[in-house]
Amino acid sequence: MPRIQTRRFVPASEVSIRDPQLRQALRRVGSGFDGARREAIEEVTPEAWEEWREQARQIKDHTLANLDHYLDLLHDKVTENGGQVHFARDAEQANAIVADLVESRGVKVVTKGKSMVSEELDLNHVLEGAGVEVYETDLGEYIIQLAGETPSHLVAPALHKTKEQVGQLFAEKLGVPITDDIEEMARVARTALRQKFLQADLGVSGANFLVAETGTLVIITNEGNGRLCTSAPRIHVGIAGMEKLIPSLQDLALFLRLLPRSATGQRFTSYVSMVSGPRGEDDEDGPEEFHLVIVDNGRSKILADPKLREALNCIRCGACLNICPVYQKVGGHAYGWVYPGPIGAIVTPSLVGLKEAKDLPFASSLCGACRDVCPVKINIPRMLLHLRGKLAESPDPEVRAVPVQERVMAQGLAKALGNPGWLSVAGKALRTLQRAFGRSGGLGALPLGPLSGWTRSRDLPEAPKRTFRDVWDAELSGAEGKDDGE
Amino acid sequence: MTGNRAGLGVAKEEFLAQVRNALGKRAAESPSRPYPRLEEDADQLGQQALEVWRRIEENRAGLLDRLADTAALRGWNVHRVGNGEEAVGRIVAIVTEAGVRRVARSAQEVFEDVPVHRALAEAGVNVATAAKGESRGREEVREEIIAAGLGITGADYAVAETGSVVVVPRAGLSRLVSLVPPVHVAVVRPGDVVESLDDVFLLRRLEYHRNGGDMGSYLNFITGPSRTADIEQTLVVGVHGPREVHMVLLG
Repeated sequence: MPRIQTRRFVPASEVSIRDPQLRQALRRVGSGFDGARREAIEEVTPEAWEEWREQARQIKDHTLANLDHYLDLLHDKVTENGGQVHFARDAEQANAIVADLVESRGVKVVTKGKSMVSEELDLNHVLEGAGVEVYETDLGEYIIQLAGETPSHLVAPALHKTKEQVGQLFAEKLGVPITDDIEEMARVARTALRQKFLQADLGVSGANFLVAETGTLVIITNEGNGRLCTSAPRIHVGIAGMEKLIPSLQDLALFLRLLPRSATGQRFTSYVSMVSGPRGEDDEDGPEEFHLVIVDNGRSKILADPKLREALNCIRCGACLNICPVYQKVGGHAYGWVYPGPIGAIVTPSLVGLKEAKDLPFASSLCGACRDVCPVKINIPRMLLHLRGKLAESPDPEVRAVPVQERVMAQGLAKALGNPGWLSVAGKALRTLQRAFGRSGGLGALPLGPLSGWTRSRDLPEAPKRTFRDVWDAELSGAEGKDDGE
Repeated sequence: MTGNRAGLGVAKEEFLAQVRNALGKRAAESPSRPYPRLEEDADQLGQQALEVWRRIEENRAGLLDRLADTAALRGWNVHRVGNGEEAVGRIVAIVTEAGVRRVARSAQEVFEDVPVHRALAEAGVNVATAAKGESRGREEVREEIIAAGLGITGADYAVAETGSVVVVPRAGLSRLVSLVPPVHVAVVRPGDVVESLDDVFLLRRLEYHRNGGDMGSYLNFITGPSRTADIEQTLVVGVHGPREVHMVLLG
C-alpha cells in the first residue's frame, strides 16, 4: 500500500492552508464542480433527483446485503464470457496476481486508465519493481505520475497543480518547450502517450460498476484513454473493489444519470465503455485475455460493521469533497492517503486502521452538506460521529484519541445538562471563570493549560448576566399561555 | 495455464466465505427479497422490448429532433440529411474540409444505403475498409486505422436522452475506428434511434438472454468529442480520442 501519512493530518493541513496556489485551485472546486452539479439537478428537477437518489440507495443496500450472492453470479458470468476472475484478500495478493500475469505473458509496457483502487494497492510501484514500464494515461494521473505525487481529488487527481507547474513539469520530464497553454499540454500528452498505447501489451482499468447479471465491467471516462487501455493491448486487466457491484444491466441507467452530474455537473461523459469479456472470435480487435481482479483489502471489515456498511455504497463521485468546508481549505493531500474528503475520513480509518487515522473523523464541522449532496444518500456525519465515539471510548489506549481533560469535560457536561441543579451550579462557575480570564467580553485564547488548544482559535462569547432560567422564573413563567389547557 | 497458483489470490469459495462472515451469514443463500429485474426471462423482456419499439415508432420524428438537439449540446456537429445520397455528399464535404487524405471506415450494413466509399475514392481520398479478410489480418487493419485521419462508422443505437451514439464492436466494426483517428463521423439511421438509456439496456439484456448469454465483448457510448478538464478545470477537446465528431443523421 502507498505510504500512509494519515497521522500527519494536522501539520499537513497547516501547510496546505497557507499555500496560495492550492487555495485558488480549491476555490474552483466549490464554484466549478459544485456549481455545475446544482445546475444539472435543477435541470432534471430536484424532485426527480430525490427519487433517483432513493432508488440508487435501495439498489446499493440490496446489493451489499447480498454481496456474496452477486459476487458469485458475477464470477460465473465473467467466466462464461471467457474472462477470468481473481479474488484478492489484500493489496499484496492483488499486486501478486497482476505481477504474475505480467511475468507469465512477457509484458514489457503497461498502460493504465484512472483507477483509485490501483492507487490504494500502489500497483505502479510493484510493476515497476518487476521491470515493467507503467504509464498512467488519464491526463491528471499522467501529470502526478511524472511529478511523483499522489492524487488530491477523486475525479480530478491533479487539481492542486497550476498550468504553470504542469508546463514546467512537461518541459523537465518530456523535453518539450515550456508553455502555459493548456491545449498545447494536452497535445503533448496525446503525442507522448499515443505510442505507448500502441506498444502496450497489457492495459489496466478500474471499474465504476460491475454488472452481475451479464458479467460486465463499466468505466465512465471523458478522454478516451480508458477506451484505448481496454481496446488496444492484447491483455486487459480490470481491478475493482468488491463493493462495485450492481445486480442488473438495467440498473446502470440510473447510476449513469447520477454519477457524472454529481461529479462535475456533466450531463453524460464522453464515453461509457462496457467490457463483457475478451474479444470474440470474429471481432476485428480487442484484448485476447480479460482478467478481473476483485479486491477486499479491508472492505469486509466495513461490511461487517452495520454502522459503517453504507460507506461501501460510495460511487466515488467526489461531490462530498467539492462541498466540504474542510476539504475546500486543506485539499486532498492533507488527508494522508488515497481517499480524501468526508468519505475518505470514514473509508481511510476503516481500511488503514483507526489508530493510524485518529484525526480524520474530527476533520469535519458536521454541517451535513456531504450527506445532502451524496447521490446514494450516505449519512457521512452519522458515521463520523460513530468513529469519534469509538475513538473516545475505545479500551485500547492506542486507539483512544480523546485526551483525559476532554473526557472529563464531556462527562461533566453530560452531568450538568442532565440535572437542573447541576446546570445552575455550572452556569455560575462559568461566569466566575469568565470574570477571571475574560477581557472586555467573552473568553479569548488561554495562554496555557488544558484548554489552551481549544481556545486558540475559538472565542467563547460573553455569558449574559442572568441565565434563561432566572429570566423565566422572574418574568415569563407567569405571563401568557398560563391558562392554556390540555 | 489458467487458474490461481498457490499464493496468487484466494479461491472463490474462500473469498465468498469471508464476505458471508462479514454479513453474518452461515451459508450461501439467495437474496431474501428476489430482485425483480433478475427474475425476468427472455419472453418477458421480449414483450417489454415490443412496447419500447412501439413507443419509439409512435414518436420517431420527435425523437430525431430531440437526438439532434441533445447531440449538438454534447459537442457533436449534427448534420441532418434527407437520404443516402445527401449523406454521402455531406461526408465527402466533411472529409474535404478536414483536409484528410486517408480514411478508415467500418464494414457495416449502413454503407449499403450510404455508399460513401466510391464517392470518397473519386474525390482522391484513400479509403480503407477496417475489416479483416482473406488476405488481411488484424495487424493490417490496425495499421490502416492508425494511419487514417478520419474514421467513419454506423451506429447500433443513438440515444435521444443523452445525445449518444452506441457502437457494439464485432466482425466488421473495429473498436478503434471511432477512437484512434482525430475525426469521427457516425452515420445514424432513423431506425437506430431509441429514447432513453433504459431502452438501450433493456434491448441489450434481451440480446443477452436470447443469445444464451452473449451480447458481444464490448460496447461503447460515444457522446461528443474526447475531452479533459484535468488542468485548472479548463476544458480541452481531443486529448486521447477524436477532437472533432460529426453525426450524420438520416431523416
